[in-house]
Amino acid sequence: MKMVRAIVRPEKAEDVVDALASAGYVALTKMDVVGRGKQKGIHVGNIYYDELPKVMLMLVTEDQNVEEVIEIISRAAHTGSFGDGKIFVSPVEEAYTVRTGSKGL
Amino acid sequence: MKEIVAIIRPNKMTRTKEVLAVLGFPAMTACKVLGRGKQKGLAGEVSFEMRPELLQQEGSLKYIPKRLISLVVNDEDVSLVVEIIMRVNRTGEVGDGRIFVCPVDQAVRVRTQEEGKEAIC
Repeated sequence: MKMVRAIVRPEKAEDVVDALASAGYVALTKMDVVGRGKQKGIHVGNIYYDELPKVMLMLVTEDQNVEEVIEIISRAAHTGSFGDGKIFVSPVEEAYTVRTGSKGL
Repeated sequence: MKEIVAIIRPNKMTRTKEVLAVLGFPAMTACKVLGRGKQKGLAGEVSFEMRPELLQQEGSLKYIPKRLISLVVNDEDVSLVVEIIMRVNRTGEVGDGRIFVCPVDQAVRVRTQEEGKEAIC
């Protein structure tokens, strides 16, 4: 299993969630975060924004679905400008459902 | 070392913290999150009044408020901590949450520069 964490624009988050849901990836966790990328925030005139609000979406999926999830997220979150976000994939060794105590997704 | 990421009901948070602290795992990071599972969000978690038919309907709420807790423990404690969290949070209803166990390569305590096991105990 892999954990896919995507940091996307807040205004694109719902598009991404809907695109994932229509492809069958319904379960996810969403949180509001602030961050910056390589461009160190943005400059608007004299004003410098160090931390930009983003939404982090987190889902855990089987290894063979990771490519598809990344494809869906990057298509739905794409605008072409700086700040579209990043997707990170990290390993998950075990998953448990609390209600049943069963292992696996 | 393993990171245990658990997504649980907000109203079970206090009890989870108490029990983990008593058993020797007081350190954790918690975060308020929104989420949904396979059922696309069943209402019934939220405290405000709602039409009763919505409570059982799939997808009636897009997201359910949840609490995400993350703690890093030694390999040998993983099954104990997972068992504690599942025992405390189990109500038998849909929405009890999920626990993920992820590998962690390194941990450093900022104050003392201790690394690995010393940094997390």
